[in-house]
Order: sequence, then C-alpha cells, then structure tokens
Amino acid sequence: MRTTVPVIVAFLAGIAMVISFFFAPERTILGQFQENLLQWVTIVGGFTLVLGVFSIVRVNARAVSRRNDGWIYKLATVVSVFAMALPSMLPTSSSTTFGKIFYSIVPESWASAFGTNPGSIYDWLFNYLDSPMMETMFATLAFYIASAAYRAFRARSAEATLLLITACIVMLWRVPMGEAFLRLFSDNIPEYINAFVMKGFNMSVQRGIIIGAALGMASMSLRIILGIERTYMGKG
Amino acid sequence: MSFWEKVANIDRRWIYLLVAIAVFFPMIFIMQFPVELTPEAQQLYNAIDNLPNGSIVMLTFDYYPSTMAETRPMSIAALRHMFSKDMKVVTLSNIPLGGPTIAEDVTRSIAKEYGKEYGIDYVNLGYRANYTAVMHGLASSIESIFNADFTGTPLKDLPLMQKVKNYNDIRFILVVSDNATIDYWISIVNAQYGIPVGGGVTAVSAPKMYAFVEAGQLTGLLGGMKGAAEYEKLVGIKGTATRGMDSQSLVHFLIIFLVIAGNVAFFALRGREKGRVNG
Amino acid sequence: MVESLTFWDHFEIWLRAYLILSLFSFLYKDNRFYKMSEHIFAGLSAGYYVGLIWQTVIIQQLINPMIDEGKYLLIIPGLLGVLMFARLIPKWSWVSRVSLAFVIGNTAGIYLINALHGLIFPQLYDTMGSLTKAKGFSGGLLALVVIIGVISTLIYFYFSKEHKGVLGVTARVGIWFIMIAFGAHFGYTVMGRISLLIGRAEFLFYDWGGSLRQLF
Repeated sequence: MRTTVPVIVAFLAGIAMVISFFFAPERTILGQFQENLLQWVTIVGGFTLVLGVFSIVRVNARAVSRRNDGWIYKLATVVSVFAMALPSMLPTSSSTTFGKIFYSIVPESWASAFGTNPGSIYDWLFNYLDSPMMETMFATLAFYIASAAYRAFRARSAEATLLLITACIVMLWRVPMGEAFLRLFSDNIPEYINAFVMKGFNMSVQRGIIIGAALGMASMSLRIILGIERTYMGKG
Repeated sequence: MSFWEKVANIDRRWIYLLVAIAVFFPMIFIMQFPVELTPEAQQLYNAIDNLPNGSIVMLTFDYYPSTMAETRPMSIAALRHMFSKDMKVVTLSNIPLGGPTIAEDVTRSIAKEYGKEYGIDYVNLGYRANYTAVMHGLASSIESIFNADFTGTPLKDLPLMQKVKNYNDIRFILVVSDNATIDYWISIVNAQYGIPVGGGVTAVSAPKMYAFVEAGQLTGLLGGMKGAAEYEKLVGIKGTATRGMDSQSLVHFLIIFLVIAGNVAFFALRGREKGRVNG
Repeated sequence: MVESLTFWDHFEIWLRAYLILSLFSFLYKDNRFYKMSEHIFAGLSAGYYVGLIWQTVIIQQLINPMIDEGKYLLIIPGLLGVLMFARLIPKWSWVSRVSLAFVIGNTAGIYLINALHGLIFPQLYDTMGSLTKAKGFSGGLLALVVIIGVISTLIYFYFSKEHKGVLGVTARVGIWFIMIAFGAHFGYTVMGRISLLIGRAEFLFYDWGGSLRQLF
C-alpha cells in the first residue's frame, strides 16, 4: 500500500502527459484534465522548495540551543530566515479578514513594507544584502580558476595539450583585444574559429552528449512511469 | 628552493592579486577595443528587429543573482530593443531564488525610461514552481498557471493580458538563462508548440547552445558578457557589458600567460628530474 | 556616473561594499567577517523561498481562488503539498510519497516526450541532413566533421562494450573531438567566471568609488 499507491499515482500522472501530447488540449476533455493537472503540479511543486527551509531552521536552531561551536553564526542564519520570511507573509492591505485585524493594530501606512512587492522589506533585503552576496560568492570563482590555471592545468599528454591550445585560442577569440590580436595574423581567423571550432568540433560533441543524455532521460522517465524506478520515494 | 621550484610553488594569493590588478587596471586606463559581432548575436537581433512594431513578446528572467554580471545586461539591452519598437513585453521567471524580483526591478526601471505603463505595455507574471509544467501549461492557457501577476493583481485586471491568452498570441520568446531551463524552452515550447525561441545564456552554457542554433531550434544566441556587449552594440548603447570587455580582455591574456608559465615551470622541473635520474 | 547621493544611498552602497569585501576577505584567510556574512546569506536565501512560496502558491494559487472564485477542488493539491512536510518526521515520511510520486510522475511524462520529440529527433535530423544542406567545399568538410564528431562522441560514451577494433578506433577519434570541445568549453568557462568578478569590481570602482569621492 505504502509503495503501490505512489506507483499508481506516478503512472497516472505520467501517462496523462504522454497521451495528451497526441491530442490537442483545447478540443478534448483530456485537455482540460491536463490543464488542471499542470496547475496542481505547480502548486505541489512549490511546497517542495520550502521543505529545505524547515530543515535549515531546525538544524541551526538546535545548534544555537546547545551552544555548539560557532553558534553565534547559526543564530545569524536563523534570524536572517525570519527577517526575510516574516515581513513577506504579512498582509499588504486591509481588504482581507486577517488584513483588517492586522491593520487595526499596525498603522496602514506601513503596508508597503510588507509582502513581496517592490519597496517592501523583503525586496530591500534581497536587493541590498542577498543578491550582492550571491554575486560575490560566485565572483570568487574567478580567482580560483586563475590559480588552477597556473597550478593544475598541465599539458601532460597530447590530448591535454590539444585541450589547452583550444582553450587559449577560444579565450583569445572571445575578447575584443584577443580578436584584434588574432586579426594581426589573418582577418578570417575569428570567423574560422567560430565556424570550425565552435560550430564544427564543439557542436558535434555537444550534440552527441545531448543525444546521449536525452536517451538516458527518456529511459529513466519510462522506468519511473512504469514503476520500475522507485528510488525517489526514499526509505520508510 | 631553485628558481623553477619557486615559480611552480608561488603563493596563490599573488595570483589573486594579479587577477585583481588586471580587472581594475582597464577601469583606470580605458582602452575600449571594438566589440566584433558574431553571426549568432546578429541572428537574434534580426529576429526581434524584423518583428512588426507592437508585437507581443515574452522575455524570461531564468537566472540567479549570481550570474547577473552576464545576464542582466542582456535583459536590459533586450528590453531597450523591444520597448524602442513599442513591443508589448510579458516577463516571467522560472528561478525561485531571486528571478521574479530581478524581473520586477529591471523591467520597471527600463520601462520608466521609455514611458511604458505597467499592465498595458508590459506585465511581470512572476514565478510558478515546476518549470516543465509551467511551459506546458502556458500553451493552453496562461491564466491556468498564472492567475495573477507577481504583485498579486489578477490577470483579468491587466489590459495586456486580455490580448495574451497562450503561446499563440506571442510572436517570440527571448530566454535569458544561466541554467538548463533554456533546454526545456527549446525542447518543449519550440519543438512542441512551434514558437521561435532566442537565447541569452552565460558563457558556461553557450558552447552547448550551438547544437540548438545549428538545428534551427534556437533563433540566435548571446554567449556570456561578450554576447551581452554584442547586443548592446547592436541596440546602440554602451552598457556595463561593453564597459567590462577591457577587463575581460586583460584577464584572459593573464590566464593564458599563467597557463603557459605554469607549464614551462612544470616541464623545466620535469626535465631536471629526468636529468637527475639519468645522470 | 553618480549624481548627488542621499544619506540612504550612501548607506546602501557602503553596506553592499562591506558585504562584498567581507566575502572576498576569504581569499586571504578565513575570518569571522566572512563567516558572519556567509551565514546571513544562507539565512536570507532560505527566507526568500518562504516569502515567494507564501505569496505565489499559498495566497495566489490556493487561498484567493478558493475564497474569491469558489475553486474548492484546489484543496487537493493544497493537501498534497502539506503532506510533503511529512518527510520531516521519520515515522510519517512514507505519507509524502504520494505527493512526490505525483510531481515526479508528471515530470517524467513530460521528460519522456521532451527527450524524444524535442531533443533526440531534431538533433539527429540536423546531423543526418547536414551533408545535403552543406554549401561548397568548406561547408561539406564542416558537415563531415559534424557527422564524424557526433558518431564518435556517442561511441566514446558507449561503455556497454569494450572499446576494441573498429569501436576502439572510433572512440579514439571521439576523444580528440572531445578534447577540442572541452577546450572550447573551458575557454568559455574562464570567460564566465571572470565576468562575474568584473561585475563586482564595477560596483566597487564606480558605485562605491563614486560614494567615496562624494563623501571625501
């Protein structure tokens, strides 16, 4: 029962999408069913995103209560979660019942600070704290790639040498200064690189990988629909 | 330690410093080499430019804040292009971490410059989970998936959305993305519903997209900050991507130098080791 | 670039500059400023999800349609979504399987068609037709490169049979193609990473620099 019902649900949800491919949705009852199904999937899918948040809060709150090493940082994490989440969940007007109760206590001039709209606390925290930090975390990768280029990228074999030479040529081609440098040798070099390296060798390999991965995707999807693949259910 | 051993084991923080210098140097001493266009960027520009004025198009903000340096200039240049042709723009995002907020921020600021009115000239639908379901759902009815826009305004209260019911009302979709969502815009929306899709992707994803461009599944491609700079040139603006090209150039030359230097040190040390073993 | 800034503008610029520099400080050495910024970043990102799902799913897709439009059938996906949280309680985690199966089954159905119709067929079609579409000698040569590249790459990644004989030679050719492709990919990846750094550097130089010039 614990396994059979989910397998049946997966089969029905999957086969509905496969069958609907062959029928124009606006002309059949199946089409209406498909529309509802897709709407429901977007709703249920949304809840999966919040699952992780509960785990983060639980793990960090436990570390704070036990005063583990670095608990002050974990407290900052928990406070940040609530600082972002709570104002965004508050009503933005007194048009709802909860809104009426809320704005009988709080001045309605504060309404623009709540919710997720532009100008809210949520929006400000994202634009002035979260987003810059996210950009910076990824920007540090530039330093690591430079360090790796110096310390780890070695032409140990003919294949590795070919890889490095191609990389250097593409790095030159992709920047204005590099392109100007390449044109010193011949005006057509950038076009040849685009035509033969990118649209020739690179494209053919990428296509092979796309086809291979798609075959794997198709077979895995079929296994899930037919109930052969059940690892997504987890243990218990 | 010999000279080559010192060179091979240089503290990585010196390399970080060199990178930082290479990035900031062109900001002080501006060089501005001309940005050359690629056929793929020209193809994308032409596809949008050839649409009749006032066409309804979709612009997706399928990227995380982490890659905004590459993708935001693409979105801005695209919006300028679309608004200059009085196109009606419907935006959405399939990225739960920041996508809809970025869409809101970017479209409103650019729309203000062109005197465009929200709800009439552009709408931000926001975000819905499970992007494959979203892409399929928009084919039959946008309202079945997005019953309200990002701010919660019902679609029936937005004049533009009375004219846009599903993909049949959209002439072109420009996907600006830093992840695999563009693969699904191509393989679901273009392949199954026939809507032309153009792509603006990060440099990491760009090599893969050539396969789709050549197969005709993707109409035009912008790859990374250079792609954004190309589109800025085509649209006639000097944005952040164009400004960043000098730094990009210098760092690329630095990286090539580091690769060569590292390998020279490696082979010099290996040669010495072989000599020591043999003799 | 920077016109006269208000106090609040300066505060926002300096706040962002502090966060950027505290995160970059890790490049020199791990320190408490970096750790604090990193943990705040993790918390804010998690909190963002909550706000987004509350507004877009709970309010816009469930509560408003049910109350304003009488669409009470939406209680079913709402319930399925809530059941997802059973995963957090080990004794009851099996309850969440139905919700998971619903989402994953639907996605699998989409992926099956998408893989065949949207990826494999168009890509194979273009590969096989590339010689007929080719123009001139260089076009023909390029088409041949593409066909050989696709076939040899697919054979290289076919591990169900030992790479011997014709298969081995083709796989060897595939390696050479793959090295060129990965070299190109590496070049692009370097470009991508550097671009992200340039974005931060532009903020520090132009925005923070502008604020510094105005203040001092």
